[in-house]
Amino acid sequence: MVWARKAWLRLQSLFLRRRVARQLDDEVQFHLEQQIAENVRVGMSEEEARYAALRSFGNPTALKEETRETWGWMWLQQVGQDLRYGFRMLRRSPLFTVVAVLTLAFGIGANTAIFSLMDQVLLELLPVKHPEQLVLVVERGIRFGNSWGDNDISYPMYRDFRDGNQVFTGMFGRYPTSVSLGYGDRTERVAAELVTGSYFPVLGVAAAIGRTLMPDDDRVPGGHPVAMLSYSFWQKRFSSDPSIAGRQIVLNGYTFTVIGVSQAGFDGVEVGYKSKLFIPMMMQLQMTPLSDRLEERRLNWVTAFGRLKPGIDIAQAKASLQPLVHNSLKVEVQEPAAQHYSDYDRAQFLKNSVDVLPASQGWSGLREQLQTPLWVLVALSGVVLLLACANVANLLLARATTREREMAVRLAIGAGRRRIIRQLLVENFLLAAIGTAVGLGLAFLADRVLLATFFSADSAGDFPISSVPDMRVLLFAFGMMLLTVMVFGLAPAMQSSQADIAPNLKDRAGSGAGGKQVFLRKVLISGQMALALLLLIGATLFLKTLANLENSGPGFSTEHLMAFTVDPSLNGYVNDRAKDFFRRLADDLRALPGVSSVGLSTMPLLQGYGWDNPIIAEGYSADSGQDQRPICDMISPNLFTTLGVPMVAGRDFTVLDTRPVAIINETLARKYFAGRDPVGLHIGMVDDRTAAPDTPNLEVIGVVKDLKYKNLRDPAPPQAYFPYWHDEKARFMTFYLRSRVDPQRLMQAVREQVRRLAPNVPVVDMRTIDEQIGLSLKTERLVAGLSAVFGALATALAVIGLYGVMAYIVARRRCEIGIRVALGALQGDVLWMVMRQVVLLSGVGLVIGALLAFALGSLIRSQLYGVQPHDPFTLVSASLMLAAAAGMAGLIPSWRASRVDPLHALRHE
Amino acid sequence: MGKPTDLVQGTLDLLILKTISLEPKHGWAIAKRIQQISSDVLQVQQGSLYPALHRLERKAWIKARWAETETGRKAKFYSLTAAGRAQLEKEAANWSRLSAAIDLVVEAT
Repeated sequence: MVWARKAWLRLQSLFLRRRVARQLDDEVQFHLEQQIAENVRVGMSEEEARYAALRSFGNPTALKEETRETWGWMWLQQVGQDLRYGFRMLRRSPLFTVVAVLTLAFGIGANTAIFSLMDQVLLELLPVKHPEQLVLVVERGIRFGNSWGDNDISYPMYRDFRDGNQVFTGMFGRYPTSVSLGYGDRTERVAAELVTGSYFPVLGVAAAIGRTLMPDDDRVPGGHPVAMLSYSFWQKRFSSDPSIAGRQIVLNGYTFTVIGVSQAGFDGVEVGYKSKLFIPMMMQLQMTPLSDRLEERRLNWVTAFGRLKPGIDIAQAKASLQPLVHNSLKVEVQEPAAQHYSDYDRAQFLKNSVDVLPASQGWSGLREQLQTPLWVLVALSGVVLLLACANVANLLLARATTREREMAVRLAIGAGRRRIIRQLLVENFLLAAIGTAVGLGLAFLADRVLLATFFSADSAGDFPISSVPDMRVLLFAFGMMLLTVMVFGLAPAMQSSQADIAPNLKDRAGSGAGGKQVFLRKVLISGQMALALLLLIGATLFLKTLANLENSGPGFSTEHLMAFTVDPSLNGYVNDRAKDFFRRLADDLRALPGVSSVGLSTMPLLQGYGWDNPIIAEGYSADSGQDQRPICDMISPNLFTTLGVPMVAGRDFTVLDTRPVAIINETLARKYFAGRDPVGLHIGMVDDRTAAPDTPNLEVIGVVKDLKYKNLRDPAPPQAYFPYWHDEKARFMTFYLRSRVDPQRLMQAVREQVRRLAPNVPVVDMRTIDEQIGLSLKTERLVAGLSAVFGALATALAVIGLYGVMAYIVARRRCEIGIRVALGALQGDVLWMVMRQVVLLSGVGLVIGALLAFALGSLIRSQLYGVQPHDPFTLVSASLMLAAAAGMAGLIPSWRASRVDPLHALRHE
Repeated sequence: MGKPTDLVQGTLDLLILKTISLEPKHGWAIAKRIQQISSDVLQVQQGSLYPALHRLERKAWIKARWAETETGRKAKFYSLTAAGRAQLEKEAANWSRLSAAIDLVVEAT
């Protein structure tokens, strides 16, 4: 009751302020009337009575104010006043405001932009029920079959886990793949996910329209032509058609029925891969033609997830699944292909174990790729923010000096120190709030640019990561704002409120105050120099890494070289038909004017793909399976000519090669044929399905110079090449074209050739090799570009800060300098007197920065290529660059000091 | 805006609580009553009553109600709440103890 009454009164005085105030007026008015009436009754005149009443009452205005104060909302009213006053003060010094706001905006914007990416890539939980219960089930140990990813398992093994486990309320598996979608009159390649029937029920994801896939939609191989759409794809591609359920679409040439649309915001379980279609796992053969995997134990391709039963933790789940993986492996070693395993290999293989990883964020290759770079960028942008705060603190300290008089006046007329600190903090909050708002805008723009450089937009025109700030990003920016106010605002505010009243109200001649302030500003400057050096060293290292990678090159000339990929199997062209298509297309392209050479490769170069396969070689015995497995590729004649990679021995393939032949690279030759001439000797592929050949059956007809394969970073692996027309299962193919003209001008003609031969086969990834190399270096480019921007920003901030402090010091010492000059100091002496401080301040900063760089360098070692984190040349060049910038900034005030006219300076005092 | 000392403030609170303990009164009547009873010894500046009244109201020791006076004018009448009555007893007891102690000290010398 009591609290209710109190609360009611408080609310009343807050929201019915006017009414309550009027009531108080009434109350006081009534009192006065009563007193006047009383006074009249005892015989005073009307006039006298009024004065007497007022006298005995006191000052009504002051008393009313005191009364209002008891209502408890005074502080709010004062904050309102502070805000209005703060706005006026900021408007009165627009230059200061603009510089401070922009500085903060850059600092906060950089951090928010990086956080926004990091949040989505590294931190965000899946939008499903109880994501914390989700785990990933993976196999650890050695494999002899093929694998699509380190965290994938085979479908039969998934089935063993699903049916035998005691620890999950449910399991599901998924596999991402591109399919060709036909709807209306348009055919396009879209990102899809093959999912088990348990996928939606176990995730707890519902359907926005129609129904979700259920276990009954995933029973018979090839027997469930049904699909679900993602919500965003349904909006974009199907214009949010409410009657979509039951419609027919064509996937890879098969007619499917759309059964529903998933709930909004759900795009599959992989960050960086937005699934647009969900298709039952049992349709695998139709969706990834020529590769029947559902009963294949030696092929790992399914990412398997489980939902832990309540009360079961990861360790328990792992222990409980171990017998299952063992049984599964025992079945696998019975397969014919396992017959050739050595006893040692077999024993090792049976020791493979299961691992259970937390999967509340799903699984993401993007995350693994970007994890370290993003943390590096978070650290760099954090340093930029620190620098920005230091700069704003510096500005505020300078401003505090110019406002000393104002503060003194306010203290003198009775403002409390707390009130003044609060006033200054409110002003700082205003600055920070405006800075944050601008920073958010900058972050949004920066993220758009970053996303555009990092991802190519897909057919639906969207990126797998969003640049629009969500609630978490806004909260983060808000937190940043509070933090910055604390860091840059509190110390200057405390200091200004301590202004001495008397000396400030007098003329400010020779004001002694501010010595401590100058010291604080010098500390800030040295700190800024240190941080700027740190960022410059980082930027130099990352730029060098990028340059080293670019210079290292792929092992062939990239000039006038372009590539594109076709996958006619998605349109029903398989085997002989596909090979025929490839040959005819190659012939047509070669006939195009401007094209000098065409080569075909099954595996695209420098896109991170790799088909590794164990081989055996004539006269070579492997030492216990420790070998790096060679990368294999099916190619056409003239591929090496097209790429410009020379043969170092033997010859290239020709279409007349009908016998089993192979070409190997130098690394493979060195390894398997050390000291021998490999041409004419034999190698053999260890086949996945059948027992290994007893004798190597492929004759080596040539040795080719090394070229980079998966990316530019890794050295060339051992490689083996085979003619593609010997492949029993031709599917997709990447075409390489060397031209005499700019490849960009050929692209349209190439597309037309493909369309003429096969109207429905989409051409994907068409770009020049230079562009391809650019794409393969996108992480390095992102890090190098951003760290360069951060480094430049940091240098600018530090130099501006240094300039500001030196200019301030010179202004304060004008009179002293005037006296020195009057007493005979030379211009050079004065110049050096000021420059000495510049050198000292930057020197201390540089030393601290170098020590910091030395201490932190090893943290980024994994991100570098061809340069050491403690590279002395980098350290020296970054220091020189910063020192030069600092010197320039210091020279201006020093020069000005040396030009001080003693007469003028002294008269001014 | 110096705050009254605890003693003064506490004393004024006590006087107000005591004055309205018998029947609801409006501000002027409270001031009048305090003056009368103390035989004009306690010259409370009448206006300073109002901050005290509002403070007590906010502590929920007294409650206010708008009602008509005998002359037919609307005025704000204050009366004690249960919490206020308890507070009055406590403060009155405190005061007796304090004044007795001061008496002792003063008369001993």
